[in-house]
Amino acid sequence: MTTGFPRFSHARTDGPGAGLPVPPGRATVSRRGLLRIGGTAAAAAALPAALTACSGSGGGTGQVRVVGVADQQKPLEELIAAYRADHPDDRFSTSFAPTDQVQTVVRTQLAGGNAPDVHVLYPGSGSAMSMAELAKASLLTDLSAQPWTKGIPASFDAAYRRDGKTYLYSAGSSVIGAIYNKKAFARAGVEPPGTWAELLDVCGTLKAAGIVPIALGAQTPWVTQLISYALVPDAVYAREPDFDDRMTAGRATFVDSGWADALGKYKELQRKGFFNDNPNGTTFEQQTSLVAGGKAAMAVQVSAVLSTFRQATRTPDDLGMFPFPAGDDAKKQWIPAGIVVGLGVAAHAKNPDRAKAFVEFLGRQENIDRWAKAVSAIPFKRGAATRLDPVLDPFLPVIDAGRAVPFMDQRWPNAEVQPAHFAAVQDLLAGKKDVKGALAQMDAAYRKKA
Amino acid sequence: MNSAPRTATSGAPRATPPGSASAKGPGGPGGGGRARWSPFRTDPAVPPWIFVVPALAVYAVVVLYPSVAGVVYAFTDWSGVGSFSFVGVDNFRTLLDDRRALESVGNTLLLTVAVVVVQNGIGLLLALGVHANIRSRALLRVIFFAPAVVSPVMVAFLWKYVYNPEGGAGLNGVLGALGLGGLRQDWLGDPSLALWSVAAMVIWQYAGYSMVIFLAGLQGVPAELHEAATIDGAGAWQRFRYVTWPLLAPALTINLMLSTIGGLKLFDQVYAATNGGPGTASETLSTVLYKEAFVYGKFGYSTAVALVLALFVAAVSLVQLRYLRAREVTA
Repeated sequence: MTTGFPRFSHARTDGPGAGLPVPPGRATVSRRGLLRIGGTAAAAAALPAALTACSGSGGGTGQVRVVGVADQQKPLEELIAAYRADHPDDRFSTSFAPTDQVQTVVRTQLAGGNAPDVHVLYPGSGSAMSMAELAKASLLTDLSAQPWTKGIPASFDAAYRRDGKTYLYSAGSSVIGAIYNKKAFARAGVEPPGTWAELLDVCGTLKAAGIVPIALGAQTPWVTQLISYALVPDAVYAREPDFDDRMTAGRATFVDSGWADALGKYKELQRKGFFNDNPNGTTFEQQTSLVAGGKAAMAVQVSAVLSTFRQATRTPDDLGMFPFPAGDDAKKQWIPAGIVVGLGVAAHAKNPDRAKAFVEFLGRQENIDRWAKAVSAIPFKRGAATRLDPVLDPFLPVIDAGRAVPFMDQRWPNAEVQPAHFAAVQDLLAGKKDVKGALAQMDAAYRKKA
Repeated sequence: MNSAPRTATSGAPRATPPGSASAKGPGGPGGGGRARWSPFRTDPAVPPWIFVVPALAVYAVVVLYPSVAGVVYAFTDWSGVGSFSFVGVDNFRTLLDDRRALESVGNTLLLTVAVVVVQNGIGLLLALGVHANIRSRALLRVIFFAPAVVSPVMVAFLWKYVYNPEGGAGLNGVLGALGLGGLRQDWLGDPSLALWSVAAMVIWQYAGYSMVIFLAGLQGVPAELHEAATIDGAGAWQRFRYVTWPLLAPALTINLMLSTIGGLKLFDQVYAATNGGPGTASETLSTVLYKEAFVYGKFGYSTAVALVLALFVAAVSLVQLRYLRAREVTA
């Protein structure tokens, strides 16, 4: 609040104790003091040049520099330790930050020509740090020559590849479903539902038992999208598998699609009082503690945050997960499954060979499995020894039957649609917009230039 | 800057405080050779220009150069990475049609007015309170000023707990305990309240800051003027209205300008507390330009928004300064 305001000298300074603006006695500076100040200033002025020089010679240390997002810290640190056991001479420097910050930091470093060797990379398009955006700007190294890339199913192409070249390493996909507290379900005497109608029944029973049926932390922007994502595969893609292509071609809109049914159901859950009070004022952390503590029965979440939920309770085995039902047929459920955030090798990496060797190591089956396990994901390819987190078992039949749909934003054309969706859901929950208005907002963002 | 003939420029700032080294003293460079030119030695009434150079050098490298260089990007379609091309005034044309940006201008102005009026009102009352002859005034000054030294992001996180929507927690819990349960609100989640909740948070943090500046002003009001007014039969209100208030004008100028500039470019607290939400209910120009750059990857457009914001802040500040300086008086 004080920056750049030059006129403090106007305040009178002759009263007792009137020291704030210009302390008496400091109004004049001795010559020695002046020289000292001048020297400091000169040093400060020289600092940027010195810093640039440092960064320019950063490659000389030979460290492979890795910048990841906070969710990747556990698997990456484990796997770097494992890699170094075989390659003791390869040294790594790692840093991790939450999503917002890491996007800012890495983009700035890429723009400044000071790219880390290996950095966080989001699958598909649709975000400022996504594979497609950075590949388009020629900032990524093509990894297609590495053996693990042959195992990527063609259905995941849009997430891993652009123009036939593989740029993303990601261990696999996480699913969106309901994380539920088994004890809370038992208290109300209910079982995980398989259809939308059953879901409404279960929620009604839970509410009658004094338990919040669904915890929703919509103040945290990314949490707002999860219920839409859980409902849209059934409401949109089960009926129109080519919806994304028709959107790209400008022959479809959100407003006139199954998205309207999905958001209608989202709103219905709120109207029936199945969320906690004031979801727009509730954060992800509060949502987590509501379910972990048994005050709420479930939360629609992505499996990657299971570990956060488990940390919040003393009895992690009480937490389970089931596909959040959106349709009428329990045998034909559809689920959203998105490729988890992964890594890319910068085109201007200072240690490209060692960076690529490390990613190739990550692509071995046992390491894919290790990474997937750490983030409760399903590996993009499974080997004989692959063991999944048992809470994911209810999702496997759905995935194997081909009824898993990538997270919707991975095919969106620019980075604005997703934030528009966050805002639309918040407005919907606040009663400021109806379903049509909310979706019109998303259509407007979709049509903007990338 | 020099259009206000009645300002207190002939007062304390140029007088040499007793006991400190004077410019003509033994430490003065040149040893008395009057005719010899020296960058340190000019007319004693005018500070030597070379004093400005170190600060100006730092300022030029850290502020001026990036600012001027940044202006160029406002006329490009730069995405933050890779190459860019010049697009003329397209970004500014887009801004005129950008409903979200225009809404955020409204929010920014509301927020600024609320913060400027309430923060300075409370700051003045606090200053009058702790200027009075009460025993705990030193302690109270520290307490009231303390929030201003906390990082704004930390304040936002703390207040998120205060604003917890659950009935038993934070502010809602206090209201409940006072029997005012009916006033409980979803402070940050209700679109009609979120902006004001953020304003309250900012006011809480910086009212003490305004207080300190007013206090400095109050301490500059000569006691003999108050005595004279008392002898003339002035009551407490009249002494404030006709003696204290006019002499507080310089402090008021500083406070109004600082809080206006701070309000217009408010970012940290909004971003950390609501991220501009719910929906776009508390979006300010600063959060919009941040998102345009770092979330949507539209650095060119974002720079254009930033440029407009900077010019707007400068214009408002200049008008404010001219008006407020014209009404300053000396004791």
